[in-house]
This record gives sequence, C-alpha cells and structure tokens, in this order.
Amino acid sequence: MDQLASTQLLLSALVLASIYALVALGLNLIYGTMRLLNVAHGELMMLGGYTSFWAFELLGVGTLWSMFGAIALTAALGALCYVTVFRYVVRNRELAARLESNSLLIFFGFSIIIQNGLSIAFSADQRSYTYLNGIFALGDARVELNRLAVLGVGAAATAACVLFFRFSRLGLATRALIQQRDAASLVGINADRIQLLVFCVGFGMAGLAGSLVSMTETVTPFGGFPYTISAFIVIILGGLGNLTGGILGAVLLATIEIYGVALTSSAYRSILVYGVFIAILFLRPQGLLGRKMR
Amino acid sequence: MKTRIFSLAGIAVLLALCIAAPQMLDAYSLGVALQLLSWIALTQSWVTFSGLTGYVSLGHAVFYGLGAYVMALLWQSAPLWEILLGSGFAGALLALVIGYPALRVSGPYFVILTLGLSEFFKYIVIAVEAGLESSGRLIFGAPDPETLYYIMLLLAVVATLLTWGLARSRWGAGLRAIREDETAAETLGVPVTFLKIAAFVISAFIPGVVGAVWVLRTTYFEPMQLFSPTTSFTIVTMAIIGGSDRAPGPIFGAAFIVLLSELLWARAPHVYLVILGVLLVSFVLFVPKGISGQLAWLMRRRRA
Amino acid sequence: MSFLRVENLTRRFGGIVALHDVSFSMEKGEILGLMGANGAGKTTLFSLIAGNLPPSSGHILLEDEKIDGRGPHRVNRLGVARTFQIVRPFATMSVLDNVMVGALYGRSRTLSQPKAREKCRAILDEVGLADRADLPAAALTLAGRKRLEVARALATEPRLLLLDEVLAGLNASEANDALDLIRHLRDSRMLSIIVIEHVMKALMRLSHRILVLHDGRKIMEGAPAEVANDPRVIKAYLGETRDA
Ligand SMILES: Nc1ncnc2c1ncn2[C@@H]1O[C@H](COP(=O)(O)OP(=O)(O)OP(=O)(O)O)[C@@H](O)[C@H]1O
Ligand SMILES: [Mg+2]
Repeated sequence: MDQLASTQLLLSALVLASIYALVALGLNLIYGTMRLLNVAHGELMMLGGYTSFWAFELLGVGTLWSMFGAIALTAALGALCYVTVFRYVVRNRELAARLESNSLLIFFGFSIIIQNGLSIAFSADQRSYTYLNGIFALGDARVELNRLAVLGVGAAATAACVLFFRFSRLGLATRALIQQRDAASLVGINADRIQLLVFCVGFGMAGLAGSLVSMTETVTPFGGFPYTISAFIVIILGGLGNLTGGILGAVLLATIEIYGVALTSSAYRSILVYGVFIAILFLRPQGLLGRKMR
Repeated sequence: MKTRIFSLAGIAVLLALCIAAPQMLDAYSLGVALQLLSWIALTQSWVTFSGLTGYVSLGHAVFYGLGAYVMALLWQSAPLWEILLGSGFAGALLALVIGYPALRVSGPYFVILTLGLSEFFKYIVIAVEAGLESSGRLIFGAPDPETLYYIMLLLAVVATLLTWGLARSRWGAGLRAIREDETAAETLGVPVTFLKIAAFVISAFIPGVVGAVWVLRTTYFEPMQLFSPTTSFTIVTMAIIGGSDRAPGPIFGAAFIVLLSELLWARAPHVYLVILGVLLVSFVLFVPKGISGQLAWLMRRRRA
Repeated sequence: MSFLRVENLTRRFGGIVALHDVSFSMEKGEILGLMGANGAGKTTLFSLIAGNLPPSSGHILLEDEKIDGRGPHRVNRLGVARTFQIVRPFATMSVLDNVMVGALYGRSRTLSQPKAREKCRAILDEVGLADRADLPAAALTLAGRKRLEVARALATEPRLLLLDEVLAGLNASEANDALDLIRHLRDSRMLSIIVIEHVMKALMRLSHRILVLHDGRKIMEGAPAEVANDPRVIKAYLGETRDA
C-alpha cells in the first residue's frame, strides 16, 4: 500500500493524463463540431510516432523538433481528409441522414488503410529509440527526462488549445458551432472554414500526441486503437464537446489506469481500460459530467 | 412471375452445385469454398441485426470467438452436434446479457461500444487462458473437411433463409422502422427494446456455431486470432459492399471479398487489407445500397 | 366515467415548466381543439399522453385505466395514436410500408400481411395518398408527409387520435378537405380526437370544445364561441403574429 502513495505513481499518472488529455482533445473537437467520431484517431498518433522515429533514426533530429513535423503532416492529412471526403459527406443529404454511423465506417476504413499502409511501408516491427533518457530525481521519485517532456509539452499544448477555443474569435465561433449548429449558421458563422480548422487541429493534436508517446513507448502500425478507446472514454467522462471537462476526464482515467495496474498486474491493463469504458456506457449512457449524448 | 421461376431455378442449381462440390473440388478449393460459406453465414447473421436495425455492430467477432472457445473447451467431451448447438447458444446468451444495456445507447456510441466489448472479452479469455497456463489449444481428431463443409453449407443456408424470412416478416418491418426512426416506431406500437434485443440474440447464434466449426477446421484455438477485430471488420465490409438490406447482399459481398483475398491474402496481406479499407470507404460514400441494391436498381430501370 | 381524464399534469425540462398542473377530460367521440401560442406546451401535452415523455407529476387515465409511465408502444396498443408536428416518416421505406408498420403493430396488430396491406391501401385511399403508395416516403411533399402521419396513426386503429398541426402548410381548399376528412374519420370510427391547430377559424368549426393553453397552464376551456370571445384568450393572443 505504501507504494500507492509514492510520487512515482503520481508522476506516471500525470504523464499519462497529459497524453490522454491531448489525444481526447482532437477527438472531442471533431465530434463536437461535426458529430463525426474519428476512430482512426489512434492511427494518426502512430503516424506522428513514425515521423519522430524516422526523424531521429535517419536525420538524428530530436523529438522536440520533429514533433512540429508530425503536427504538420497530420494536420495536412486532416485538411485533405476534410476537403476530399467529409465536406461531401456533410453536404450529401442521403449520407448525412445517418451521418454518425456512416462517418464512423469511413473513419474505420481509414484506420485499416493507415494501419496496413504503415505495415507495408515500415513492416510490422515495433520501433523505439532512446532520446532524452537522462534521469531526473524528484524527491524519492526518479523519472526520465523524456517523460517529463511528455508531461510538459502535452499539458502546454492542451492548455493552449483550450485557451484558444475559449478566447479567440475563431474559437468562440467554433464553440458556437458545437453548441448549436443551426443557429450558428444563422448568425453568419462560416461553418466550412471552422470545420476545416477543426480537422487540422484535431488531426494535428493526434500527431503531436503520437510524436510525444514515441519517446517512451514503442511504435507499431497496430498500436493506435487502444488510444482511440482511451480518448473516447475521456471525452465521455468529461462530456462531449466539453473541452475543459476532457482534461478532468483524462486525469480520472489515467488515475484509474495507473493505480489499477499498480494494485493488480500489467496483464490486466486492457481489461481494466475496456472494463471502465463498458461500465460507463452501460451505467451512465449520457456520460459522467456530460450532457445527454444523443 | 417469370423472374420468380428463373430465380427459383437459379437457386436450385446453385444449391445442387454446392452439395456436389466436395466431389468435384480438390482439397485446396474445398478449403476456399468452406471459407466462402463461413463468411456468407457470418455476414447474413450480421445483416439480420445490424442491416435491418441500423445499429452497426463492430463486435460480431466476439460471438464467433466465444463459439470457438466453447468448442475448444468441450471437444471430445460431448457429441459434435451438441457442442455446435452449445456454441451457438453461448453466443446467443452473451448477446442476451449484453444486449439490454448495450442497446440503450445508439449511433456511434453503440458502434464503438461493440468494438470495445469484443476487445474486452478477448482480453478476458486471454487472461483466463493465461491463468490456466494454456498457450493455445490444439484440437485432435477433428472431423474431415467434407463433414465440416456440409455443416457450414447448412449454416450458410439457414443464415440466408433467416435474413430472407426476417426481412419480409412483420418483425422485419418493425426492425426497419427502428432503423429509420426509433421514436416514430415506438409511437406506432413497435416494441422497440424487445425487437432490438431479439434480433441481436438471433444474430449472435450463427456466428457462435461458425466459430466452433472454424476452430475444428484450423484445429488450433488462439484467442488473439479468433477474437480478432479483423473478423468483425471483414463482416461489416462484406455487408456494406454486398448490400445490407436483403438476403442476396451478403452472398455478393462475401464472394467478392473471398475472391479478392484468394488473389492477395497469401502474397500481400497488408495490401489486401488496404484495398478492403478503400472499398469500404468507397461503398459507404458512393454505393450505399451495395452491389445487390445497385443490381436491383439497374434491373428495375431496364424493366421501366 | 370520462373517456380520457388528465389530472394535474406537470412536465418540466430542467428549469422550464412546459406544462403546469393541467387537468381536463373528454368524452368518447368528442373532438377537442387545443390552442395556444408557440411554446404553450401543446406538443408536450401530446407527448405525455402518447407516452413519449413521462410526466413530472400527475396522471393520465384512459377509460379509468392509468396510462402514464407505460412507454409509447404500450400506450399505442391501448388505443392512443399521435402524429408528429415535425413529421417523422420512415424515409427510405415506401409510403405503403410506412403505414404497414402501424397496422402490423399498434392496437390492431393485424398479423397477416396481405390483410394488413389491404387495410393500409384503403387508409391511403381515405387520406388521398393512394396514388403515391409505392413511392419512398422521402419523395412526398410536406403536405403529403402530414397525411402520411395521419395514415400511419389510423392504421394502428386508435380510439383516441392526437393530431398535431396536420393542416399546417395546406392551402385553403386543401385545408377544407382535411377538415372534412377529420370529421369523416371521427364519424366512421367513433374516434375521439384532440386537434392542435393554429388556424383559429378551422379549429372553431371543427371542435366541439376548445381548451386553451398559455405558458403551460390551462387558461380556459369551453365551447368555440365562448373561447373566441373570452378576454383572457384574446389577451394571450394579442400581439402574437400567427403564422397559419
Ligand atoms: N425536449 C425538450 N427539452 C427542453 N425543452 C423542451 C423540450 N420540448 C419542449 N420544450 C419546451 O417546452 C415548451 C413547450 O413546448 P411545446 O413544443 O410543447 O410547445 P407548443 O405549444 O407545441 O408550441 P408550437 O406551437 O411552437 O408547436 C417550450 O418552451 C419548449 O422550448
Ligand atoms: Mg407544437
């Protein structure tokens, strides 16, 4: 029990929470504004992860620099995705009628394409590299620098996004769109531009998260889905479309996961995470803090 | 009337061919035929629930895997037929237990919940197997491929009849109404909750049996493989490509993809899956009614 | 014994009280008009009676049997059918199949499909959609969809029919036909009908009695002539620009 009170675990939980918050943010933005559930979100992370891996292996560029490349790559992909597919999906009446399920199938197709495309390009090997692995001592806890970097960058990026959508003009317009699609277009908000922005930011944040994670975890073509699930749990916990609530959700899930595993064994991590996910949807389909979610 | 006779004759010929197939095919081709039949059965069973109600399940693999697990556990401790039925009932029972809470959520929540459920049970089985210190179970003395083929043929036929019958029945009308507008349906007296759960349970029975037969075919049970989300994904893709609203759809979809997989799977599995992903996206975008819907539309246009 | 009795019905949405302590009753075969400004709570009252929403408090009795809290499909089977103000057709199904759902389930529960089909064709004929029976419901105009709502509700063989602004969007002569239709339905089936309508004149001509809601409260109930001249009603409507 002693071990549960340690700074070590607390730090682990914080690191994980900052990643979850960042991952969930992107998912939340796209779902909130357009009711599209991006189940390829975890795969975008892996794209970001590979970007940083190869930048390090081939060019010797550190993650703290290559993460900008990861953001640029995934954000560009987001723009492409929106312009070529989702603009059409949202406008096509027949598809939009069952938008949520249809878009999910499309994203699901994307996730399969990315997973296997990555396998073709880079093989299914697990990739990892050593970067910023110096040890930092904090009281009785010892933590690698790269994990501190994950914590710092993750938290900063999340905070920046939340502040942007809270205070900037474009951010306000986006939140208006999240709250009331029809009314927003009435007051002259350019939905198309905002949706494009949301796709770029949402995808870009996934890329960033993947880049960060690649410092501490292995990257594989098929490693993304658990993150999608975690992100989904986080936004259900925090309320759909509620960006600030997402941070709370991330802290909650990371705490459950880290302390749950510490109490049992790492073999039960998946069962624990999926179990929490199922329990939430079974017991409170409307989410913990969230509004009703249909 | 004339078309009716034609299609009946066509079905009779097709069935006769299927029954005669083991005598005409070599071992390899029989294996492919077995695979085709299993996908038809799985996709039909998916259509009886997801196709009709619009509740897209990405977790159908869980029933398949459970059926396989039951077979792996009970093999040689009971007659084959009893275990097969038991596998089917195991799937149906699981659907009954998770059906009520799961079907209270709809839209994308339901879709991703089914995926999560399927993964959850996969890891549970893995943990149980690890607890039993078993790493994969071998099955000895499995029936010969020909027997398995006929069982699978029966399953495919039953599943197809089920879809066909359900789609035209009173229940089918209710399920479609649920797909279109659940509130309007219940206001017209459709017992929405009951129908959804019933369809879910029915649709879980067949994959349970299919999984049991399939593990006899591979003679090896490994949870990662038998609960693989790729199975669910393939089922959904077949249904979307073939058309998920009528019985011929899954047959077209399964035939098309099994053919594709024959060409590609062994040589380039990832390329095959990429193509599958592209097909899924394209059909959702451009041919939402699938091959069978498109054909029906073309025929109607030619007649008109 | 009244046919329908509504007792102290209240419904809240968060802080909004959409319906506040409303009571009334009606007799078999009666046509009751329901009027009130936008947001008065008319549609909410229908949702409560039909079981789409549970009341926050109060009761609804159909021939002395409590029907609140039962869920819409059970209420429908007891003989209550409603139409939706914002129409909800089964868009990709044919017009006939839409009506079939009502006939196959509903109070009638016609289990034989050929019989149900025959019945539904007759109903489509009655409401004037016979020539569009095989079109997908999505192809109907708004007026057509409103009629489809009525046809579907009728196919369930209700004893109490709740019509929510079925005249909206019709021109004068169409509206007249629709009024005749409603009267004919009542006479041919001994139906009890509650009608929500914004067109005052039509409602006056059609209803035996009129009930007026304002801000969720019942402010008056009486014969059409009384209601038309009541100062409270005039006040409630004063300054309102009605879109007919
Ligand atoms: N599902 C709901 N959630 C929250 N508020 C609701 C809901 N349904 C209705 N309301 C509110 O309840 C009040 C009554 O609405 P209702 O639809 O019953 O009015 P109405 O009399 O039918 O109006 P109209 O003439 O516009 O059809 C309104 O203030 C409305 O905003
Ligand atoms: Mg209304």
